[in-house]
Amino acid sequence: MPQVKIIAKNFMDMVASLPAIKLDKLYNNVFICEAILRSLPPLAKKYVLQMLYTDVPVPGTMMEEWVLADGVSKHRVAIDRLIQLRIFSEMVDRKNQTSYSLNPTFQNNLRKHIISGGVLPREPMNSDNAIKLPSLLELETYALRQWECFLLQLINPSQGEKLAGISPSMMRIFQRGLLSQRDKDGPRLTESGFQFLLMDTNAQLWYIIREYISNAEERDVDPADLISFLLELSFHVTGEAYNLNTLTEVQKNTLKDLADLGLVKLQQGRKDSWFIPTKLATNLSVSLTDSSVRKEGYVVMETNFRMYAYSTSKLQCEILRLFARIEYQLPNLIAAAITKESLYNAFDNGITSDQIITFLQQNSHPRCADRIPSIPENVTDQIRLWEADLKRIEMTQAHFYDEFPSKDVFEAACDFAREWRGLLWEDSKRMRLVVKSEIHNQMREFLHSQSK
Amino acid sequence: MASVASKLYSDDVSLLVLLLDTNPFFWSSTSIKFSQFLSHVFAFLNAVLGLNQLNQVVVIATGYSSCDYIYDSSSTSNHGSLESSRIGLPALFGSLIEKLEDFITKDEELIKEEEVEDRIASSLLSGSLSMALCYIQRVFRSGNIHPQPRILCLQGSPDGPEQYVAVMNSIFSAQRLMVPIDSCYIGAQNSAFLQQASYITGGVHHTPKQLDGLFQYLTTIFATDLHSRSFVQLPKPVGVDFRASCFCHKKTIDMGYICSVCLSIFCAHHKKCSTCGSVFGQSKLDDASPVSNKKRKAPET
Amino acid sequence: MAGLQLEKRVKYKSSVKDPGTPGILRLREVMLLFVPEDPKSDSKLKVQTQNIKSQKSTKEGSNKPPWLNLTNKQGRSHIFEFENYQDMHACREFIAKALAKCEEEPKKLAVSTSAEQLSIADLELRFKLLRENSELQRLHKQFVESKVLTEDEFWATRKKLLGKDSIRKSKQQVGLKSMMVSGIKPSTDGRTNRVTFNLTPEIIFQIFAEKPAVRQAFINYVPSKMTEKDFWTKYFRAEYLYSTKNTAVAAAEAAEDEELAVFLKPDEILARETRQKIRRVDPTLDMEADQGDDYTHLMDHGIQRDGTSDIVEPHNDQFKRSLVQDLNRHAAVVLEGRSIDVESEDTRTVAEALMRVKQVSKADSEANQERLERISRVAGMEDLQAPQNFPLALLSIKDPRDYFESQQGNILNEPRGGGGLKRNIHEAYELLKASILEIKTEGLCDPLIKPEVALEVFSSLTRTISTAKNIIGKNPRESFLDRLPKPTKDQVLHHWTSIQELLRHFWSSYPITTTYLHTKVGKLKDAMSNTYSQLEAMKESVQSDLRHQVSLLVRPMQQALDAAFQHYEADLQRRTTKSVGGGGGERPNGYV
Repeated sequence: MPQVKIIAKNFMDMVASLPAIKLDKLYNNVFICEAILRSLPPLAKKYVLQMLYTDVPVPGTMMEEWVLADGVSKHRVAIDRLIQLRIFSEMVDRKNQTSYSLNPTFQNNLRKHIISGGVLPREPMNSDNAIKLPSLLELETYALRQWECFLLQLINPSQGEKLAGISPSMMRIFQRGLLSQRDKDGPRLTESGFQFLLMDTNAQLWYIIREYISNAEERDVDPADLISFLLELSFHVTGEAYNLNTLTEVQKNTLKDLADLGLVKLQQGRKDSWFIPTKLATNLSVSLTDSSVRKEGYVVMETNFRMYAYSTSKLQCEILRLFARIEYQLPNLIAAAITKESLYNAFDNGITSDQIITFLQQNSHPRCADRIPSIPENVTDQIRLWEADLKRIEMTQAHFYDEFPSKDVFEAACDFAREWRGLLWEDSKRMRLVVKSEIHNQMREFLHSQSK
Repeated sequence: MASVASKLYSDDVSLLVLLLDTNPFFWSSTSIKFSQFLSHVFAFLNAVLGLNQLNQVVVIATGYSSCDYIYDSSSTSNHGSLESSRIGLPALFGSLIEKLEDFITKDEELIKEEEVEDRIASSLLSGSLSMALCYIQRVFRSGNIHPQPRILCLQGSPDGPEQYVAVMNSIFSAQRLMVPIDSCYIGAQNSAFLQQASYITGGVHHTPKQLDGLFQYLTTIFATDLHSRSFVQLPKPVGVDFRASCFCHKKTIDMGYICSVCLSIFCAHHKKCSTCGSVFGQSKLDDASPVSNKKRKAPET
Repeated sequence: MAGLQLEKRVKYKSSVKDPGTPGILRLREVMLLFVPEDPKSDSKLKVQTQNIKSQKSTKEGSNKPPWLNLTNKQGRSHIFEFENYQDMHACREFIAKALAKCEEEPKKLAVSTSAEQLSIADLELRFKLLRENSELQRLHKQFVESKVLTEDEFWATRKKLLGKDSIRKSKQQVGLKSMMVSGIKPSTDGRTNRVTFNLTPEIIFQIFAEKPAVRQAFINYVPSKMTEKDFWTKYFRAEYLYSTKNTAVAAAEAAEDEELAVFLKPDEILARETRQKIRRVDPTLDMEADQGDDYTHLMDHGIQRDGTSDIVEPHNDQFKRSLVQDLNRHAAVVLEGRSIDVESEDTRTVAEALMRVKQVSKADSEANQERLERISRVAGMEDLQAPQNFPLALLSIKDPRDYFESQQGNILNEPRGGGGLKRNIHEAYELLKASILEIKTEGLCDPLIKPEVALEVFSSLTRTISTAKNIIGKNPRESFLDRLPKPTKDQVLHHWTSIQELLRHFWSSYPITTTYLHTKVGKLKDAMSNTYSQLEAMKESVQSDLRHQVSLLVRPMQQALDAAFQHYEADLQRRTTKSVGGGGGERPNGYV
């Protein structure tokens, strides 16, 4: 992989890729079992539920009975996922029948969770403790402000107030892949950086958390511990305050970082410290199916390529600036226009027309979202056309070969190049060919072996 | 069926409105203990809530003389008292238990003023169905984005005939709103109301055979969200008997006489409708041989 | 009406040249009779009214004698010369009425005519239907050709199929030319100042229809005050004044000549009609009603007839009409179509006929009163008004339990255990509370459910699912019928349609009032028992694995047939006992 892949589709893929021992260890925690359950596809959830209280393997045919003809593929996916996550173990008996049984730890923990609800190892604040708790609304604005602040700093380190908690080195880790430092005129967003900005908050959060976890070992933190803490966090109640004293030192440190991201709010009491999870934290384990936006859009796109964004956010203004010309900014409205220049600028930065269009669609104002299409067709067409304009010529690094000793060698070389899918052009009369640079080495070796 | 807006909200997010039968007469006469029943139901609710972070559960108690909301997972006030979490009850249901207790006390108070003798020991199903629909209607109106609602009736007591019209109206409202009514009947007889409710609204009706395995029934059948139902087969009643019974002898009949005013059904011709009192004309069949007919009918009436 | 008759002295001519036979014309509704004075004359004539095709009469005021020319359907014409025009008019009207009545009559007759008199068109339609619908064809073949049903009986239940086309045949009204009256331009000979208007009956009709005031004036003035020619001259003079747009002259001339003024003034009758129409318009928004409105007659706005919009002195306003008014009026008349059917050269007749039509529609407007009331109801705020008291008997279901319990059968009666309950109430509630307390203190029972039970429940549910799959088929949308072999499926479907056909005829034959019905029911019963045995045979013949399903399908058919047989037997028995005991006098009509 040459670059960090920006598909932070979901956290669970990451969990699934953990080694078996660690995975089994994870299932010791009730809340992780629960979070994993939530992340499963609907059919897999059903299978887990209906096998919760059976302790003998259930034949796969029995489960398949329930599935209608057009759901068979869904059944496969569900079973595969369950096995991948080691929730199901597969057994094949003598009659070549496959049966499945639930992972006993997982099963026991889920049973426990369902019956007793599970008690968080945190001490919730007593009502007699006199700390003024922020209202849910305040908490949400806090979380969003914090998150935006973080993002702004992420893409533009020189701007915005410095965040206390996240160390510059940590910041650099997050920026890895999103920003490039090669020019002297300061860091620039890379292609994936732009793509990152156009994703919705949840996906962005996943990406950052992912980076955070993959970086954990460098900080002497066990990723599995971190995962379990994060998942546990998502089961805390938004807006309730929890005492910090039950946490380990590592967890406390993590919490500080998370506070900078807006996942929790820290509050200092007279003698204890508290943390209050925000919506961002409790949404961490939201099941994988809803990667799409749930918040209301704010962009109105007109057929004359003008764009009005009802937003006060500086970040959103910056995001729009990626592909549109900001004309003026009113207290709660950003007026912008999509022009050829602004789009060329975006395409230069590696943003694709599809990304822009999806962004516009996902963020279109509720009034516009009701319309079909939500973005005027002439605008989407034009955006695509302008992109296509830039792609009239495709550049490929290539090597040119000529002066082949014989027709046979030439043809063998052509076939070889074709096999490697690197043949770009051939001229059999004059025995010349052009191949992609990537296979130049193989090609050279091949020609050497031929000449011997 | 699903609008574009609701698609944005993930497919399997559901709002489950559970109608809990708290009829004392039923619970004092049935084999399964109420506490055992509640255990199964609470575990089921917990499981449903566990399936998706955004899942929502509303519980409405259907009493003998009243009904009321006793739990709403979306409201913030129900995070249990410390007491209940200490004894290992699902923390979420602390307030549910308290409200249920209050409800039963109130229900009992209401009953004192009433005449009990003349009523079948049925629960106020029509009331709780209407309340469920009201709640769902409110959810529908709250915006484009909302979970997919469904109603689950956990009923044990027999149908209350005096509620017939109200129940039927609720059923048809649910049909219009495209809200399926699932029903799980744990009573001894068979509930025509619930059978019809599920049939008309496209829900699932099931009568568990082993009540000690109620949780298994609930999770296997009734935990299935609406999205999954498009590719999962759920048990269907073997057949729906559409034949009607006559009002006079309660016989199931193929052909009969229907009052053109109130649609009451009779197996033989009467002079007057026994339900609404409308006076019928001579039946056409009798016109042909009026004399003989009168003779024939005389001994009967 | 039937007793009405008219007698006039006339001369009968078989052709125009014929000098004529004097005699008496007797008019009755069904026919007219000419009795010559000379009993020896052989020109005695009897004409059925329904044979008369049309009538023509000479115009009053022309120099011809008052002739009435009747043409019969064979194309022969009979000419009667009346003594005066009054007699002729009376006769003409009488015949017109009789003719109108005759036209209705044939329709009634057609219903009662039997198959022999069936028109060719109908037969063709039937064939077409049979050709197009193979199922129908099979049924037809099965029952009509095997004489179970007659052709008529078969089609009697399918009137809808036949009826659809007959509606299309309805008589279309003759339309009007779309040229406007105002578009009648005078022709000038170029040398003198004289202008000439060409008048045809069609134009006259149009003028009368569009301008009721002119029509009224015609009836008032012609021929009492002036001749027809003078009338039209005056009319066109007025029109000419309009076209010159010289309102001052028009005003001046109107002041001198009051008859002329009539033509120049806005049409009072129209205005009245319009006002009435407006009143009739549903005040609730109705785009359709507004489409044909012509409110412009009340307000004076819009462009002038020739597209100019010059300003005229206000006091001459009444001599000005706008183009919009004319257009609307014309459009209305064109839409109404040629509402009268008089093919008369006589202008007066046309005028009078139009009048009558208008009066009829006025009567209609009285019927509108009721509609108006309804509108006023609608227009009011429904929820603010007191409830309407409809003269309806309220549905009074005394005890809803009556309504419901029948569904429940006797089961329900059990738990209604009266007194014992009352004692139990509080115990029951206590029990409930104890349970809650238990759960409150001890939590949910753990283990919630025994693994064996869970597995048992799950596998039993799975069994139901899989058996249901076997019954319903792999795909729930695919019915069992689709799994049957094709011939069997077709057979089942065919039996089903034929049983329905038979049962429909069977049940509609009751009560049996005629011998005809009696034999029909007998035939039907035989056919049904035939089908019944066929069903049995089919059940036997299918493969054993499908037999159960097929018998499930067949059962309702057999039940329906059984019910019919039962009814047949019971009815037969009743009638035999009655004919033994009741004596002959009480037999219903026609029953032997």
